[in-house]
Amino acid sequence: MAALTQVSSNKCCGGFQKVFEHYSTELKCRMKFAIYLPPKAENAKCPVFYWLSGLTCTEQNFITKAGSQQAASEHGLIIVAPDTSPRGCNIEGEDESWDFGTGAGFYVNATEDPWKVNYRMYAYVTEELPSLINAHFPADPEKMSISGHSMGGHGALICALKNPGKYKAVSAFAPICNPMQCAWGQKAFSGYLGSDKSTWEAYDATVLVGSYSGPQLDILIDQGRDDQFLSAGQLLPDNLIAACTEKKIPVVFRLQPGYDHSYYFVFSFINDHIKHHAKYLNA
Amino acid sequence: MQAEDLYSAGEVGPDNQARVWDDKADIGMEIPSKGLSSTDAGMPERCEGQSRMKIMQEKLPRETRRIPPPSKLQRFSVDTNESLHFDPYVSQSDDDEPQLLSSHRGQMQYSDEVFEEENEIEEEQIGDQMCSIPEGGRSKHKMDVKERLSEDNETESPDVFCTDCKTPTWSFQNLYGPHKDHRVILISRATEEIKEDLQKTTGKLEEQIGLMENFASHLEEIFITVEENFGRQEQNLEQHYNDVIQTLSQRYEQGASRLADEKKLKLEALYGQLVDCGKTLDISKELIEEAQEIYRNENKLMFLQAVASAIARTEDLIKDEPNFKLLASLEFENSTVDLSDVKQMMDSINIVPAPSAPVINPQIPNSATSTSVRVCWSLFSDDTVEFYELHYRPVLDDTNAGLQAPEVLKKRAKETYLTVMDLLPNAQYEFWVTATNTTGVSPASEKAVYMTVPSPPVIKWRECTSFPDAALIRWESGNTNPVDSYTMELSEIGAECPDHGISESIVAIPTCECLIQLQSGRHYSICVRAINTGGPSERSEPVIIQTTGTYFHLLEDTAHPCLSISEDGFTMFYGDEDLPLSDMIFSDNTFARCVAVLGDLIPVRGRHYWEVDVEERTEFRIGIAYEDTQRNGFLGGNSTSWCMRHVITPSRHKYEFLHSGWSPDIRVTVHPKRVGVLLDYDAGKLSFFNAHLAQHLYTFHCHFLHLVHPCFALDSPGALTIHNGIAAPEYTMFN
Repeated sequence: MAALTQVSSNKCCGGFQKVFEHYSTELKCRMKFAIYLPPKAENAKCPVFYWLSGLTCTEQNFITKAGSQQAASEHGLIIVAPDTSPRGCNIEGEDESWDFGTGAGFYVNATEDPWKVNYRMYAYVTEELPSLINAHFPADPEKMSISGHSMGGHGALICALKNPGKYKAVSAFAPICNPMQCAWGQKAFSGYLGSDKSTWEAYDATVLVGSYSGPQLDILIDQGRDDQFLSAGQLLPDNLIAACTEKKIPVVFRLQPGYDHSYYFVFSFINDHIKHHAKYLNA
Repeated sequence: MQAEDLYSAGEVGPDNQARVWDDKADIGMEIPSKGLSSTDAGMPERCEGQSRMKIMQEKLPRETRRIPPPSKLQRFSVDTNESLHFDPYVSQSDDDEPQLLSSHRGQMQYSDEVFEEENEIEEEQIGDQMCSIPEGGRSKHKMDVKERLSEDNETESPDVFCTDCKTPTWSFQNLYGPHKDHRVILISRATEEIKEDLQKTTGKLEEQIGLMENFASHLEEIFITVEENFGRQEQNLEQHYNDVIQTLSQRYEQGASRLADEKKLKLEALYGQLVDCGKTLDISKELIEEAQEIYRNENKLMFLQAVASAIARTEDLIKDEPNFKLLASLEFENSTVDLSDVKQMMDSINIVPAPSAPVINPQIPNSATSTSVRVCWSLFSDDTVEFYELHYRPVLDDTNAGLQAPEVLKKRAKETYLTVMDLLPNAQYEFWVTATNTTGVSPASEKAVYMTVPSPPVIKWRECTSFPDAALIRWESGNTNPVDSYTMELSEIGAECPDHGISESIVAIPTCECLIQLQSGRHYSICVRAINTGGPSERSEPVIIQTTGTYFHLLEDTAHPCLSISEDGFTMFYGDEDLPLSDMIFSDNTFARCVAVLGDLIPVRGRHYWEVDVEERTEFRIGIAYEDTQRNGFLGGNSTSWCMRHVITPSRHKYEFLHSGWSPDIRVTVHPKRVGVLLDYDAGKLSFFNAHLAQHLYTFHCHFLHLVHPCFALDSPGALTIHNGIAAPEYTMFN
């Protein structure tokens, strides 16, 4: 197992907010991830809450802006926040746009050249990273959950829907609910997965809901009503809600008036989400 | 004078009486001489109890009692009624000792004679035989036995014991000699056996001593009682004789004064008559002298002139017949003295007096039931009473004061108590009692008020609510009159106390409800008693309280007329057919617009959880409201209620979480078939859940200013069913 290099460590809410660097075998590059270790982790194995960030983000955004540590400390949850894409892979065009390439991995395993070697974020967040965390930290491998914001919300939903039972809880902030139907998704999926839209369906939450079969889910979604990407049709929560209603997958979708797409919005409701996760992780 | 004699006789009376009574008392008590010594003191009271009494010593051992020497009497002297001094028979005095010894010696001598013909050593058995002689006698005998034993040891110890002759002997003697063919056993075994016998006998004797001691103390009591009784009889006697003498003295005074009056009257009359006679004589003599003088007058003319008037006066005098009748009767008036009352008094000296008024006791706690009271009274114990009569009548309270006085009822009793039945519960009765014997009826006792206990309260189980750590019990008094207070008794139902023992009582509850702290997750059986001065009522029928979750009933008087509630009180229906408005009856407390009903108040802080079954097509409002929430408003439409609302729109199921008419925009993809409601007063939260999925739907954050009621409403025809008494699920902790 690859060695971890501690990049930073800060005491926070009785525990530690740390950042590590390691070489990812899936992504074939060095990756950073942030990890919050609650006080409880000093003596016991703790459940792990995986947070997937949105477009353009690094491991830093969530830990510096979301204010999740207090609630995580209280509920004894480890929070792991990976980066959003491989970095420094020297792929042509990786830094051309903010919504594709670096900072926009979309939590898929790319099948198209030149991305398929490095852009395997789905495998990274669902397999490699959990193994790494379970091996190096006092993590309870049986208890993990996932959440995310925007593109990360999309990532959280598909990880949960594609791996029934793997995640004890799932929630999302302003997720890209139906990427096949929005500009961001279409751009990313065609770039990483090619033009065959049937391959896209494996990474589309709204589509995945239709074929979900597994333990009862309880999905909590918060959405700012004044989110410009909501009105721009990038997020399409109604499609997901309709699919979940149809398939009777329990969702509580809260349209929060006045909130936009920013981390201020995330900060405002992160406690509810951590409680939601704690309910299942600490059950 | 006679009167003086009688009078002084009255004064010295008590002294004389005392003398008489002392004699009598001595006879009555069969107490010898000593009492007489106090006769000189005059008053019988002083000599009372000073008499000495000798009673055969009961504790004396049987053996010695056969020949009781004169000194072997237990002496106890009674100086006062209070103290009784015993001179128990313990042969400590030097005088007694020799007598005792001699008596035993005499007996031993006798024993020796019995065994005269046998071996000298056979005498040893005397020791064993005599072992039943206790106390003083025993030690002496033991000593003798020991002496003899030691003497024997100097020669040759016997090795066996002849059971026929009851004597130690030598085994060879079993073959020949005096014990030939006798049954012999080893001496050690014989000792064991005889020791056992000895112990048994001693035990029996100790028992007898115990019995005898009891008997002696019983005798003491009897002694005192007898003495007291005679004391009272003496007092009675004195009283009676005093009365008789007083009466006699009164009679004498009356008789004497009457005699004096009569004497004076008669003498006065006789004296008057005497004086009158003298006067008449004088007048007659004067007339004669005058006539003789005229007669001697020689002047014929003058004679004739004077004689006419003299003749006229003499004739007048002669005309008055002289009255020789005695004006006073010489007969003594036959004044018969009626002494029948005195005779009666004398007769009644030896018959029982009519009893004095009994003393009625105040009511004893716990002696009454709801329909009966046990009335007790007492009497001066010297009164002979054939029976008592208990009189009673209900005490009317102020409201009935104007009514006719209630009838007085009577009951007879031989004892000094009576349980009076068939009374009204929670009512006061006035009692008084008279005592009757052959002589008459006593005056009535004072009046005492007794009270029957109340009827048991009736727990209103439909109005009882329970919570994880408390319960609110409500009941009806069960009595028309107010009671003093209530007592609640609770017992936990469970393996630990299968006998349903009362584990806790709460007393002095002034009103018909009580909020009690309980432990959560238990079952309790709770009942209530009503208390008045007469005591506690019977227990009410118990109510079973479960402190799992929160348990409440619906306040049906708040229900909108269109809302019907099932028999068990937990399902509400809103029928398809609307009632015509004219058929709807609204009160101030009834919801008038919203087809709603309130649940009972949740009066304790903490967390409360309940669930409601809802059908998919049912439009409902479920939540909480203040007691004063507007009855003509819609739940959630105002600031006094909070609720989850389900609305069916043409496109979807819509869920609103309404307070003051505003709801957040929340989509729920799976219709909750059972809504969980969590009220957390302390955290100021009201949360809703899909109970089947453990899914959190929404949480109101609100500082509740008042206690709240659960509330339920149907916005379209359908039904809601409440599930109560459920512990809040674990997952509700996370919201």
